[in-house]
Amino acid sequence: MKILATVKRVPDPETSIKVKPDGSGIVTDNVKWVINPFDEIAIEEALRIKEKVAGSEVVLVSIGGNAAPNDVKEQLRTGLAMGADGAILVVTDAALEPLVVARALAKLVETEKPDLVVMGKQAIDDDSNAAGQMLAELLGWPQATFASKVELSGDQKSATVIREVDGGLETLRFPLPGIVTADLRLNEPRYASLPGIMKARKKELKEIPIGDLEKAGLDVSGRTQLVKMEPPPKRQAGKLVESVDQLVELLHTEAKVI
Amino acid sequence: MIEWSEQHLMIRDAMRRFVEAEIKPRLEELEHGDTPPYDVLRKMMRTFGLDEMARLRFAKRIAREKAVEAARARGEDVPVEPAHEADGATDGGAGMQLIPIIELCRYCPGMVTAMGVSVGLTANAILSKGTIAQKERWALDLFTLEKIGAWAITEPGSGSDAFGGMKATARRDGDGYVLNGQKTFITNGPYADTIVFICKLDEGNDPKERKVLTFVLERGTPGLTQSKPMRKMGLHSSPTGELFLDDVRVGRDHLLGETEDGPARSGAKATFTMERTGVAAMALGIVEQCRERSIDYARTRVQFGRPIGEFQLIQLKLAKMEVARMNLQNLVFRLIEMAAAGKSMELAEASACKLYAAQAAMEVALEAVQLFGGNGYMAEFQVEQLARDAKVLQIYAGTDEIQVSQIARSLLAG
Repeated sequence: MKILATVKRVPDPETSIKVKPDGSGIVTDNVKWVINPFDEIAIEEALRIKEKVAGSEVVLVSIGGNAAPNDVKEQLRTGLAMGADGAILVVTDAALEPLVVARALAKLVETEKPDLVVMGKQAIDDDSNAAGQMLAELLGWPQATFASKVELSGDQKSATVIREVDGGLETLRFPLPGIVTADLRLNEPRYASLPGIMKARKKELKEIPIGDLEKAGLDVSGRTQLVKMEPPPKRQAGKLVESVDQLVELLHTEAKVI
Repeated sequence: MIEWSEQHLMIRDAMRRFVEAEIKPRLEELEHGDTPPYDVLRKMMRTFGLDEMARLRFAKRIAREKAVEAARARGEDVPVEPAHEADGATDGGAGMQLIPIIELCRYCPGMVTAMGVSVGLTANAILSKGTIAQKERWALDLFTLEKIGAWAITEPGSGSDAFGGMKATARRDGDGYVLNGQKTFITNGPYADTIVFICKLDEGNDPKERKVLTFVLERGTPGLTQSKPMRKMGLHSSPTGELFLDDVRVGRDHLLGETEDGPARSGAKATFTMERTGVAAMALGIVEQCRERSIDYARTRVQFGRPIGEFQLIQLKLAKMEVARMNLQNLVFRLIEMAAAGKSMELAEASACKLYAAQAAMEVALEAVQLFGGNGYMAEFQVEQLARDAKVLQIYAGTDEIQVSQIARSLLAG
């Protein structure tokens, strides 16, 4: 079976993020870029399915630049080093909103014809948590989001997915092809092994200019606009109070939370 | 080579993530507890496929040696392939070996020592001097770290003058040998499964004229005692011990090469060269870590109303650290280039490399402690550990003084 796994390049979660003074985005100098951690989990899941189902193929897909400072190829090579078979990069330097991302992925699904698309439940940079659901809608495919366990039927015609929902676990079964988005506890991604890193060099990384997809009918117009980014307010110094009564009083009059 | 390649950086990133996830949180127990380093090292081997690579490399080498042996048996004249050309730039090259060393040394130089002695010294000693049967019996398990190796040469009375003062003996006994002696400062000594034991053949002759023989011993052999880990200044994640041999009987199959007439010190130069160049990579890891920690601290530590990085005496320390890092990285680049070209350093160059690397690591680590002030003296900020660990680089694998004499000897020769 063929599995597409999505890869978004995001700042390393360990990096301390600074917002540009004009509020147009974050300062990207000296930021270390990594694969979105949820996408990494998606890749791992795709690889595990591949290891179980003989003859499977895992193809990574990403949308982004192919040269500094927006170069996504490094993250794709890391995914190839983990064990994916090939990668496709839709080349654009524009920051796309989730709907455009989902439309572009839908175009790729038309040509690649995967049986399963595994995605991170959200990217840790803008936390939209939308592209997976939108892709399912655009394709008219079933979806299981926030997956914490994925199991395929013996004939690989359907998938059973356990989702972590408020108050418990929900089990869904749906026919393939379909979309799964990965939650944190789905698996623990592997490290790229040294032989994997050596082999990654020879694997195909196909670049498709976004214009090619536009010619094929992709609509890149968005509906949302980034107005302003601002850092969270600086934490104020704490205040010591004399008594519980005073605390309640201040929570009421000053903090206005009760 | 003027910079790390994209692949090198991928290896580095993967390795760094592993070290920060698996070793950093357990530093306390590895450095100050008595947890041996082997499980973490094995996990590293498995995670990165290093064990599988070692198996493939070993199988290739043994197949080649068997082919040569068969050809010789048929009376054909087969040229001996130099080992480094045959094994050398296997995919990935020397960077594959050096990057894990650098990354481990940012937290645990002791781990590199434990691994290096097992794989680099012990397994390679068997690989270079053993018969094919001996290699198959002992070397492969050491290369994959399934078994832990120790290489025993130093004795209480012989350190730098290892062969001159050596008291450990082998006496012939029927078709086998009886071994006696005491070895000390043996890395992995307390836990080793396979021990390469170097001693002199006692034929009742003058000790100075005795042949040097090398044996392989297995853990649990009657008469062999392995001590508990010794207490030491640093390098706590590398267990060090003593070995006591009291009438240990072994068959001829335990004598490396199964002949008394092999060139006794053959391979010693290659071994020393490898050990010494490895120290450059270790020093780079220590220096990188001290430098990064120091930069962070200089930026954030405020005294007299400003970050201490604004004071020139602190700037001098940072600048010196950067110079050391650049020099060490260039040495490592040279090592990678040489290996790719199928060359290895002459002993004198390796000695110069090691002398500089050890001194640079020591100096940078002590400067880092000083830069951190009181915090530097506390374990929490880790630089004191690296400073204690760095000291060993000036002592083991040939002291600074021995390196100096070897460099000078080569300069004055001819």
